[in-house]
Amino acid sequence: MDGEHQYHTRSKGSTVGSKDLDFSDDSANTDNSDYDNGFVDDEDEAEYGLTQSGKSRASNYGSRKSAGGKKNGTKNSAKSGSKASNANDTLNKLAAKDQNFLHGLQHDAPADFVPDVVSGLFRSSDFSYLKLKPDHASRPLWISPGDARVILESFSPLAEQAQDFLVTIAEPISRPSHIHEYKITAYSLYAAVSVGLETDDIIAVLDRLSKVPVADSITNFIKSATVSYGKVKLVIKHNRYFVETSQADILQMLLKDSVIGALRIDSETSPAAEENQPTKEGSLDYKHQAAKIDPNDVEAVFSSVVGEIQLDDDNEDIDAVHAFEIANGSVEIVKKRCQEIDYPVLEEYDFRNDHRNPDLDIDLKPSTQIRPYQEKSLSKMFGNGRARSGIIVLPCGAGKTLVGITAACTIKKSVIVLCTSSVSVMQWRQQFLQWCTLQPENVAVFTSDNKEMFQTESGLVVSTYSMVANTRNRSHDSQKVMDFLTGREWGFIILDEVHVVPAAMFRRVVTTIAAHAKLGLTATLVREDDKISDLNFLIGPKLYEANWMELSQKGHIANVQCAEVWCPMTAEFYQEYLRESARKRMLLYIMNPTKFQACQFLIQYHEKRGDKIIVFSDNVYALQEYALKLGKPFIYGSTPQQERMNILQNFQFNDQINTIFLSKVGDTSIDLPEATCLIQISSHYGSRRQEAQRLGRILRAKRRNDEGFNAFFYSLVSKDTQEMYYSTKRQAFLVDQGYAFKVITHLHGMETLPNLAYSTARERRELLQEVLLKNEEAAGIEIGDDAENSVGRGGPGKKAKSKAVRGEGSLSGLAGGEDMAYLEYSSNKNKDLRDHHPLIRKMYYRNMKK
Amino acid sequence: MPRARKGALIQCDPSIRALILQMDTDRNNIILEELDDTHLLVDPAKVEFIKAELNRLMSQNIYDAMDEEEEP
Repeated sequence: MDGEHQYHTRSKGSTVGSKDLDFSDDSANTDNSDYDNGFVDDEDEAEYGLTQSGKSRASNYGSRKSAGGKKNGTKNSAKSGSKASNANDTLNKLAAKDQNFLHGLQHDAPADFVPDVVSGLFRSSDFSYLKLKPDHASRPLWISPGDARVILESFSPLAEQAQDFLVTIAEPISRPSHIHEYKITAYSLYAAVSVGLETDDIIAVLDRLSKVPVADSITNFIKSATVSYGKVKLVIKHNRYFVETSQADILQMLLKDSVIGALRIDSETSPAAEENQPTKEGSLDYKHQAAKIDPNDVEAVFSSVVGEIQLDDDNEDIDAVHAFEIANGSVEIVKKRCQEIDYPVLEEYDFRNDHRNPDLDIDLKPSTQIRPYQEKSLSKMFGNGRARSGIIVLPCGAGKTLVGITAACTIKKSVIVLCTSSVSVMQWRQQFLQWCTLQPENVAVFTSDNKEMFQTESGLVVSTYSMVANTRNRSHDSQKVMDFLTGREWGFIILDEVHVVPAAMFRRVVTTIAAHAKLGLTATLVREDDKISDLNFLIGPKLYEANWMELSQKGHIANVQCAEVWCPMTAEFYQEYLRESARKRMLLYIMNPTKFQACQFLIQYHEKRGDKIIVFSDNVYALQEYALKLGKPFIYGSTPQQERMNILQNFQFNDQINTIFLSKVGDTSIDLPEATCLIQISSHYGSRRQEAQRLGRILRAKRRNDEGFNAFFYSLVSKDTQEMYYSTKRQAFLVDQGYAFKVITHLHGMETLPNLAYSTARERRELLQEVLLKNEEAAGIEIGDDAENSVGRGGPGKKAKSKAVRGEGSLSGLAGGEDMAYLEYSSNKNKDLRDHHPLIRKMYYRNMKK
Repeated sequence: MPRARKGALIQCDPSIRALILQMDTDRNNIILEELDDTHLLVDPAKVEFIKAELNRLMSQNIYDAMDEEEEP
């Protein structure tokens, strides 16, 4: 047990420095190809997101049957076929790498292995040559030699230790109660190495835990991924990016590389930036010359010194640092390229030794308590005393903000926080002031209403993505602030809700603001458009992903019972459903009378139990119909702020108001710890993220620590309709987190409910008439002011509204003959909507859609 | 004078009944008699067709996790 032992002692060692790491990404190979295409032509994003992934999935699926290992190869070729032009050599290299992996796999079987009768059926997925160890029952792991997936028996006595270890070297895929699935990827291995695990340790521990001997393909994969890690570093100095390495031959190789070499900036200032070690720069340049790569003026300048430097260079090679500069914009390309050529860049910020940037006086208040998992997630970030960039995934309500704040308090440099809406800007600011000793004068807020900056030499800025990424004309004030933001070096940037921001916007943010360490925070690292892997290069790998089940067992988040309620369509509704167009169908299955009855029944049932209930509906028409019929308050996009507050407060404190109806606006931004039961009547197609976000509304339930307390999450689904498909798809993420959805086909006692709505055929027919009369607009999903819509999509809507401004004025006034004062109005989109006549509002919506 | 015709009795949910009715309007001569909310009398020769068609229609509403398995 010495490998494992070592591992444990290490994690005990430092305060924040544990060796457990967690990383996330697809297998490096698949990713590279993604990355390549996505990167090289950005304009193609739409096509890339949809058709490409569709294609690759199809080919994937086909090949998966025959050989697990072939997967990557096929994906690559599918992509390279459609994107023939650029980076051909890259793809070839990648293909070769995959081939190697595959070949290794095929030759794995020992020569004396005799296939048995059924082997043929499994083809190359036949791994029976890996003989079970005699004591396999007590070992909890099996690793697929084909794609490095790890299957763990989580009921084994060794499971807990195994989990700790696996989280360090692999990334979690799915963690239901009995069998967990992990995947070893190049990223996860880099993470393991960077905190000090040795290649041999990893292999030894895996071998000890595995039921069968670890296949050679896996051993080779681990070796190849870990051997070159950490040789190349990316550092920021004086707001410029440098690629550093301690070995001259690696540097040469990088410069020779067709992609990276071209991105080098041959600035004469580079020696100046390295004032303290100009000689080393010299030696570096000398080497270039020798290699005949980049002959330039700088060499000539140094050529006189070069001779003698060269001599002792051999002795000093170990501590010499060789560096070249790259442009801010090409950082991402270089990172990707380095990944491809097996020299992944190490991006760490040694903040303790950074004396150039002024320290920020910030510390957690003594009263601030950090939960164990928050500490664990931070220990992955500060694994070796330096800050690594990456993404931390914690469920909603598990205290992501505090993690960000604690990280900022550890780094103690200027911090910038970007979030999705101005509401959360204020929340972040308030949280910072609440949890740590930061003084209000050091905190600045940059939104459309507020453009103050801190006057001290270091501080905190909170802003939104759209403010920073805006490329259109800015007002003078905001331009000034932007110059301030881009003009200085930031120690740390926190990116809130990273999953919602479009990749292009991120790219802009990340390239304009120079920050040493980046931390992304999210609850749901899934996107329906496969763009998640882009984040790897823009921010960093997944550092930590909390186990939802574990948190709820320990009482940090509420224990939730999930149920899917199947509501049969009534005959007449289903007939119309079959006849209608796709959009109208949606309206029909949402307005299904049986669903309404189920909703009514559940509300009554839970109100009797004393639960506070939130009903979610994406569809505003249905929201209003349901709420009005049941006599409950509702909030949607156009509800005035005052009324919203009123309703929410009543919901919190008034015993009479136990149920509210919320549209999409409630998905993320409304925080209601009183709610204990959630009913979902319509949703945004198959969005896994929305499902998880909604579940998040009840995870922070106040009463979660009561004995035997359960929160309830119901999803009402009309049977035999499209909704069934979406519903299953939506649940995928939560199922991977270990939630089990019970299917309820019949609610007992629903028929006998007093004053049940739509209980007679006549009422149902009337409802049907009404629904059919609605036009397709009503079927649409609310174009709301929720975070997901507003980020990065604010532009077109505003433009469409009014191009001309009419005002009254006297002739002399217009000519400037009267007193004038400049006044800036902050225009609230929400307010504008409200002020219009319903008809105009409708037109406005239609315009927006176009 | 009464005529006798051979028919197959189908017992099903109202929604399935609606699906079969829909098929009938598209292709005619499937249904001989609509009995009540859950029963239909159909042409015995078309039973196999009805089954296949129902399978096809219903599978559209089923999400197959395997299709998406390779996604992160």
